[in-house]
Amino acid sequence: MTRVRTAPLAGAAALVGLAAVLVGHSLENGPARLGAAAPSGTGGGSGPGGSSPPAATTPPAASSKVSGSASGALEQYGYGELSVAVRAEGGKIVSVTVTKLLTADQYSQQIANEVIPMLRSEVLHAQSAQISAVSGATYTSEAYAASLQSALDKLHLK
Amino acid sequence: MGTVVSYRLEPGEIGDAAARAALGASIRELHRIDRLFSTFAPDSAMSRFRVGEAVDEVEHEEITSVLRLCGRAREITAGWFDPWAMPGGVDPTGLVKGWAVERAASILARAGVEAALVNGGGDIASVGPATRGQPWRIGIRHPWRQEALACVVELEGGGAVATSGTYERGAHLIDPFTRRRAGARHGALGSVARVVSATVVGPSLALADAMATALAVAGSAGVSVAASLVEAGYESYRISADGREEATSGFPFAAAAAPA
Repeated sequence: MTRVRTAPLAGAAALVGLAAVLVGHSLENGPARLGAAAPSGTGGGSGPGGSSPPAATTPPAASSKVSGSASGALEQYGYGELSVAVRAEGGKIVSVTVTKLLTADQYSQQIANEVIPMLRSEVLHAQSAQISAVSGATYTSEAYAASLQSALDKLHLK
Repeated sequence: MGTVVSYRLEPGEIGDAAARAALGASIRELHRIDRLFSTFAPDSAMSRFRVGEAVDEVEHEEITSVLRLCGRAREITAGWFDPWAMPGGVDPTGLVKGWAVERAASILARAGVEAALVNGGGDIASVGPATRGQPWRIGIRHPWRQEALACVVELEGGGAVATSGTYERGAHLIDPFTRRRAGARHGALGSVARVVSATVVGPSLALADAMATALAVAGSAGVSVAASLVEAGYESYRISADGREEATSGFPFAAAAAPA
């Protein structure tokens, strides 16, 4: 009835206490890891090939490929402050950069440095997974604004 | 509710104008439900109801039907979801969010919208299948890596997915048996067994919302809860603080997904 995965989700149990860390890097091996190019209009790789963007956002871009930047709000965590900028070219996320990282103390900085390299592939993994939406425990509007779902909505990428 | 609700919809044959009208009606319904059920507003119908004050007929009917669903959820989860055990009086908040999103989606469905996803703070109701009759692909947020996914699930058209967790800063869930913060019973040694994220997939988002909340609170006791959920037609997936994952055998992981 219940199955248990043998490979743990994360080996770093000690990092569980850190609320969240965002990562930035430039593509080293080209865009091969990214998912299929976004189709025309604002539809994504999965879900309806729709022409209607989410209600709360600005109208869809006239061209079929989205380029631009969006900045996430400065987010205050238990150990410091982070904000992230997402840059897209030709309909693909090409970089996610930490624009501001302030840590409360040396220990937090050390954790942040250890965790950041582990997160690199996972940020792009979410996009290459070609998802239509994200389900997670998001209790506040502020947390939503800092979330992956929000960044995807802003860039009209799915 | 303090929750952001996002929509994506494909109008289909009804056309853009009708779809926008349906969207407007759906949003107004969310606001109406929020006003009625808010336990933060002292003069909301729910606030008056829980202290025994009068509410009008329509309000009474809505509250009663929500509480009936809560009763069912309490039974299925063996009391791990229990709005009557909350401090301050009966508090159906753990189910109302999913119920509201489900109502919002049903307005779109009744209007004939071809396909839609309504996402209220991670509780997702779907209308119709995704393109070409395919199931929707829904990412489940990684509990402690904010921009990553734990997995991807496949959602059949009309299905619902809810995720509850204890990882959002400032959020807390109440253990109905101890009436204290969930996880308090475990203490330091048991903290790694704490469920940080619980996802439930099934036909009703209202029930899935309550069930996910129950699993997030129950910790390791959730194994038996998960079994009851399967009997009721709901599959579930839990992530513990030490990174262990457990899923019911029918949980709809997407075939091509790789764990974070």
